[in-house]
Amino acid sequence: MSFGAARFSASPRAASRSAASPLAVSSFAAAALRNALIVLLALCIFGPLTNLLLWTVTEAWYFPAKLPVSWGFSYWTRVFRPEAGAMLALGNSVLIALSTVALSTLVAIPAGYALAQRGLPLRSLFLLLFLLPQAFPAIAVHLNIARIFYGFGLNGTITGVVLVHALQGLVFSVWITSAAFAAVGSEPIEAARNLGASPLRAFCDVSLPLASPGIIASAIFVFLISIDEFSGTFFVGAPEISTLPLQLYSAATEGNYQIASITALLLLLPSILFMFVVERFLRADVLAKIGT
Amino acid sequence: MTTITLPASPRRPDWLPALLLLPALLVVATLFVYPLACSLLYAFRDEKLGVWGWGNFLRAWDLYARDIYFTFGVVLLSTALIGVLAIAIAGYLTLGENRRAVAVLRWLYRWPLFIPVVVAGQMMRTFLAKNGLMNNALMALDLIEPLQAISFLDWRGLVFTFVWKQLPFATLLLAGAMAALDRSMIEAARNLGAGRLRVLWQILMPQLRPTLLVSLILSFVAILSVLSVPMMINAGSPTMITVDMAWRVASYSDYGVANALGFISCAMCGLAAWFYLRQGLREGGRP
Amino acid sequence: MKLERSILGLAVGAALSVYATVSQADTVLTVISGGSQNMVDYVTDYLGPIFEKQNPGVKVKAIGVGPDDAGSQKIVEKLQAQKNAGKNEWDVDVIVPNQQKTGEMVKAGLLMKYRHAIPTGKFAVSPASKMALGVNVDDYVMPMFQSQTAIAYNPTLVKNPPASFDELRQWVAKNPKAFGYNGLKGGMSGVAFVVGWMYAYGGSPDTVQQGPYAAAHEAGWDKAMAELKQFNQQVTFTPGNAGTLDMLNRGEIAMGPVWVDMFYTWKAEGRLPPNMKLKLIAPGMPGQPYYYAIPSKAKNVELAKKFIALATSPQVQANGIVKRFNWYPGIDPNAVKSELSGKDWNELFTDVTPADLAKYAKPFPLAPYFTDLRERYEAKVQD
Repeated sequence: MSFGAARFSASPRAASRSAASPLAVSSFAAAALRNALIVLLALCIFGPLTNLLLWTVTEAWYFPAKLPVSWGFSYWTRVFRPEAGAMLALGNSVLIALSTVALSTLVAIPAGYALAQRGLPLRSLFLLLFLLPQAFPAIAVHLNIARIFYGFGLNGTITGVVLVHALQGLVFSVWITSAAFAAVGSEPIEAARNLGASPLRAFCDVSLPLASPGIIASAIFVFLISIDEFSGTFFVGAPEISTLPLQLYSAATEGNYQIASITALLLLLPSILFMFVVERFLRADVLAKIGT
Repeated sequence: MTTITLPASPRRPDWLPALLLLPALLVVATLFVYPLACSLLYAFRDEKLGVWGWGNFLRAWDLYARDIYFTFGVVLLSTALIGVLAIAIAGYLTLGENRRAVAVLRWLYRWPLFIPVVVAGQMMRTFLAKNGLMNNALMALDLIEPLQAISFLDWRGLVFTFVWKQLPFATLLLAGAMAALDRSMIEAARNLGAGRLRVLWQILMPQLRPTLLVSLILSFVAILSVLSVPMMINAGSPTMITVDMAWRVASYSDYGVANALGFISCAMCGLAAWFYLRQGLREGGRP
Repeated sequence: MKLERSILGLAVGAALSVYATVSQADTVLTVISGGSQNMVDYVTDYLGPIFEKQNPGVKVKAIGVGPDDAGSQKIVEKLQAQKNAGKNEWDVDVIVPNQQKTGEMVKAGLLMKYRHAIPTGKFAVSPASKMALGVNVDDYVMPMFQSQTAIAYNPTLVKNPPASFDELRQWVAKNPKAFGYNGLKGGMSGVAFVVGWMYAYGGSPDTVQQGPYAAAHEAGWDKAMAELKQFNQQVTFTPGNAGTLDMLNRGEIAMGPVWVDMFYTWKAEGRLPPNMKLKLIAPGMPGQPYYYAIPSKAKNVELAKKFIALATSPQVQANGIVKRFNWYPGIDPNAVKSELSGKDWNELFTDVTPADLAKYAKPFPLAPYFTDLRERYEAKVQD
């Protein structure tokens, strides 16, 4: 993410300051403090992650040992044995996430495009409406959706879960695609129109490709939201549909930290993978337009 | 900041924007507005007796008053901490002068953003326990004695986990907004001798108030909605009301009290939203 | 774009391939089990493969719904929803619910009578085979096992374990935060402790266990609850059944109520130090069976009966229930004892002897008392 780094220029003030001696000491102390704080932040972020990784290769870890008493991969075999359903849960999670992305993006692109137009009547109201699902505690909605879905036979089905996930993702989808289309600006479209393209053609050949980095970024966020989603799946999907977060939760409450940590690692992998990928698609100008 | 103004075209019908918005609106209406309305409405219905009234709220208060206070306190504290830390980190990213430190910080802070909440819950459960890695590391460094080691698996663990998870998102929004600001103002202020802290506080923050509010409110609501983390970290009482809601439905099928608790958490969000709207109206009607 | 496309392609391919391997044309016997994970593992790892070998072309699918009333409630809801929808064939064949919810399901007409039709029916001799917390469930159920709670303790930290609730209170007063249980939520071991407390201090324990139900018998509960609330100030709360065992393992607590079977299983798996011990304290702590039952409109009724007959046969009860998973048998113990070596049988009774069980093993309260007890706890003790 290239926020400001490229536009930052070293100023002459810094050089003149370090020449004077009391200021040099204070800037040394300031630098030390800054470094210490950054290290502390790094420990806070990577400490728990290390803990997780340790548990994935632990066989036994008794009190009062500070590190695992015995190491090994036997719990990996236990997690991945065919009866355990870890592979099924993984497959479910990925399938649901991909379907959610498809549904959300399909619905969000036209909505985002419409919302990017300044002249849209009630534009602010619509933007607020799409923010609403994020403005209320989702759990209240989820437990009632489960009851409603029971009546339609959607409870415990993949479709039901995808619908619930798509709602969660819709907010991000609509807001980010709207910002993406807005960031494209009107000049390219005007140019295409002036050259004789129909509105649909201008949209498909000009707007969509130019906005696609933002759209892909929103798709990635929706994917991560869906893979990560817990409370909706808990009410609507369980016990027939098993996803990785649900497996992780039941392993954690069963006290089996090794299995829980291995499942957590499985869940982490797509997320971390996308972390390296999404960087390319989230640009400062798109981000700044979220919420305006 | 621009939006598109399409040239008026006789070929573009007036109903087109409405048609484009329709699928999304339908999704929100059926999957959100309707169940939410059900929730708020049925909070007043006593299902066993089949009457309307305040019964559910009285029972919810009777059973879970402590949890309600607890939830409000934890969420408020977490949001406040997120605000302070997000401003600090975003401020440093924008105003920092050591290029390497800025680059490291930028790479570092966004990691929790990509870690699922359930995973964060599981990690913290083992990390913050009495014999978790944190205490073990402190003991190994001889900073504390084994007898002094305490478990952080209570409100402190909850706050730590929530801040840990939500901070990158708030920082992302703030840093993005800061980066989109005009640098010339910052440069001018610095050239006049203003310290960086002063630049942050008096020049950047006033312009960023809307973004800060949006990020804080989103964090507030997100934390209030989390079910997995308190279930995994906070064993006993008091706990967050999301756990109580799940418990009422799962064990007793008691939708009445569960919806009443949902109503109460919606009210808490309403409070947060009220701040936002007040701010938005002050800025000139732009939500 | 190429990288993202290939990632996408890989993801879709992985998801589809998992589905390809899982969907088959066999008959599927769906078993839904409440209780802890070890009960689901019992079907997945032990019972299921044996049944599949005996019945080629059949696949056993086990789904876990979780422990305590919350888990078994999901079974009730599932069956009730299908009944309300008027379906003729329900998608569940065998269920394994707890006593409370079994009683509710029998009253709601969701289960079928089958015990007379299976060969192992004659082994169901315990009182629990006929009554579930005051509800007559005769012919609807076969007990899967009988379980018992007891106090687990670490002998190195606890030199003289308490023998009764009174002694336990004194010990906890001297050693705050060293005793842990999970309250009412997250597992029945905590619930069992609360019930044991009420039997000790709430008055009329026999009436509470066997009926009749009358509010007058709950007169002593308020005082007992108040004392429990004070007691709770000095305990550590654990996340659940497994949480208590885990904290015992990690030395965060020195004593706590546990299920005897989970205790022995964890020891065998190396998740609990081998020196830990059990004590069943006076005046008693509860235990419960889980039942095998068949929904009234189950699809594969004959297969379901065969499955339950297998699960309650003396050999399976001996090798699976007792030896491998450390439960007390659900069927007539004499039939099971003859299938095991003396050593294996006696391992069940290492810390908790049959004499202890005779004196201190209690059932859970009658269903209406049980509901009242939970409500009172939430209202008075938790808040």
